[in-house]
Amino acid sequence: MTQLAHHPFAHPELLFVLASASPETLDSLEFGLIGFDADGMVRQYNAVESRAAGLSPERVLGQALFTHVAPCMNNFMVAQRFEDAAGAGSTLDDIIDYVLTLRMRPVKVRLRLLSDPAQTMRYVLIQRAL
Amino acid sequence: METLESEYEALLQFLYLAPVGIVQAALDGSIAMINPLSAQLLMPLSRDGSLDNLFDALEPVAPELRNLVSQFPQAHGTVCDSLRVQLSAGIPGKKDARMLSLTVLKLDDSRLMAVISDITQAVKRERQLKQSEAWFSAVLTGITDYALMSLDPSGSIESWNQSIARVTGYSERAVIGRQISLFHSPGAITSDRIADRLMEADANGWSLDNGWCMRADGSRFWANTMIAPLSRDDDLPEDERGYALIIRDISDKREAGDSVLRASACDYLTGIANRRTFFEAAELELERWRRFPRPLSVVAIDADFFKQINDTWGHPAGDEVLRNLALTLLATVREIDVVARLGGEEFAALLPSTDLEGALKLAERFRVAVESQRVMVGGHEIRYTVSIGVASMDSQVSGMDQLLALADSALYAAKKAGRNRVWHKRADHVLTGPEDAAA
Repeated sequence: MTQLAHHPFAHPELLFVLASASPETLDSLEFGLIGFDADGMVRQYNAVESRAAGLSPERVLGQALFTHVAPCMNNFMVAQRFEDAAGAGSTLDDIIDYVLTLRMRPVKVRLRLLSDPAQTMRYVLIQRAL
Repeated sequence: METLESEYEALLQFLYLAPVGIVQAALDGSIAMINPLSAQLLMPLSRDGSLDNLFDALEPVAPELRNLVSQFPQAHGTVCDSLRVQLSAGIPGKKDARMLSLTVLKLDDSRLMAVISDITQAVKRERQLKQSEAWFSAVLTGITDYALMSLDPSGSIESWNQSIARVTGYSERAVIGRQISLFHSPGAITSDRIADRLMEADANGWSLDNGWCMRADGSRFWANTMIAPLSRDDDLPEDERGYALIIRDISDKREAGDSVLRASACDYLTGIANRRTFFEAAELELERWRRFPRPLSVVAIDADFFKQINDTWGHPAGDEVLRNLALTLLATVREIDVVARLGGEEFAALLPSTDLEGALKLAERFRVAVESQRVMVGGHEIRYTVSIGVASMDSQVSGMDQLLALADSALYAAKKAGRNRVWHKRADHVLTGPEDAAA
């Protein structure tokens, strides 16, 4: 599992590796990661994302992602894509440019949206734009 | 220290979860701080995918904002309070028209605070109330002068009394048996619109409208007209049902309420309808189309090389070009048509009872009018051109958002084909340029 650290942001098989990765491994990633279940509850929250947002994992884990953790993504560009993919029973793997409001500063990021009907966990991966 | 850190974290989370958008920006709109709900609401609007500047992010839907701030005379205060910003037309009965409310405070000579909230649901409830309010106001306000007459089932005037002469100046002979278009200036009403209003009166119990009416001597007055069915008895044969028409001269009231009304309904720069007014009119027209399909067209207009005009001649010249464009457009259309500035250098015209061919003719007339004139700014003569996209309503089109999108894609094709031309989307959604259209 340690080689997960070498998985880049856009790695094609990432979704399947992430689901079984330990919290330590997720913390070693170079990009932010939020994993959430079919009910939208945050189950995984890595160190990069925690530092960027200024929130400790305890404040975030078990909370509803799109209403209580990242309301900035609750629109047709992000949240709706996950809903549509789940509704259609299809996989989702999109990379989009977005702006997050980390510590109330507008920060340009690339988001990778990952879900698969065969996987319980869904992911938003966050990479700061260069 | 630990307490301070955890308090900071709690404050961060408080702002992350605030159910309204809060933005702090400099006077030029560049964003210093912004909370997540703002990003949720603004990101779908942003043209370049960034949120660096509040004015840029809102430019497509609230182009007046930059101007409102720069023209704000005081050192601090409220620049705009609950300004309504329409995002989409919506689909009546299916999808609500999306609407934001925007309040901007000037804190000092370097900072703005903006509060943004989604008022889509509130506006929907308010609209349902508005109709009944209009009715009460018509009944309760002191009616100083009015003309009352009865109409036959087709909308022709069938009875005479002195009130008609008092308000309109017409004699009995000139009125009996005539259509009510008699009281409107040419181009202000169509036979489709009369049929619509009679149908709306049947369906709702009344049909209310404010607009220009014309007296026998050709002079105009701002009037409130109400049509109500005389009998709501559904068993009555159709040819025995009639209507009452009341015309009220409300010129005085219009002047009193004019400035407030204008500020909320019109574009600050050009004086023509703003985005919200356009979508309101479009929604009503689409409802009518659904009940009774007939030709309906939309024209999307964009000033060519507008950025270059601004860069070469300066923003005041750019503003002058936009004003000229609006005036020229207004002079080209009929009074019943709705012309609006949708944002930036984007304009649109809604043409009721006009088929694709008619809309193309109008668009071409407008294109030529713009091309053949000059705008004088500070001793310079500026020429500019427009690209135009035209689309007409048909059963394949789901609503105003899509109809506008069709006109926009034709507009884009006109730009790509070299600008200063009219393209349209045919009913089978094939893009067609001026050469093909002539065939």
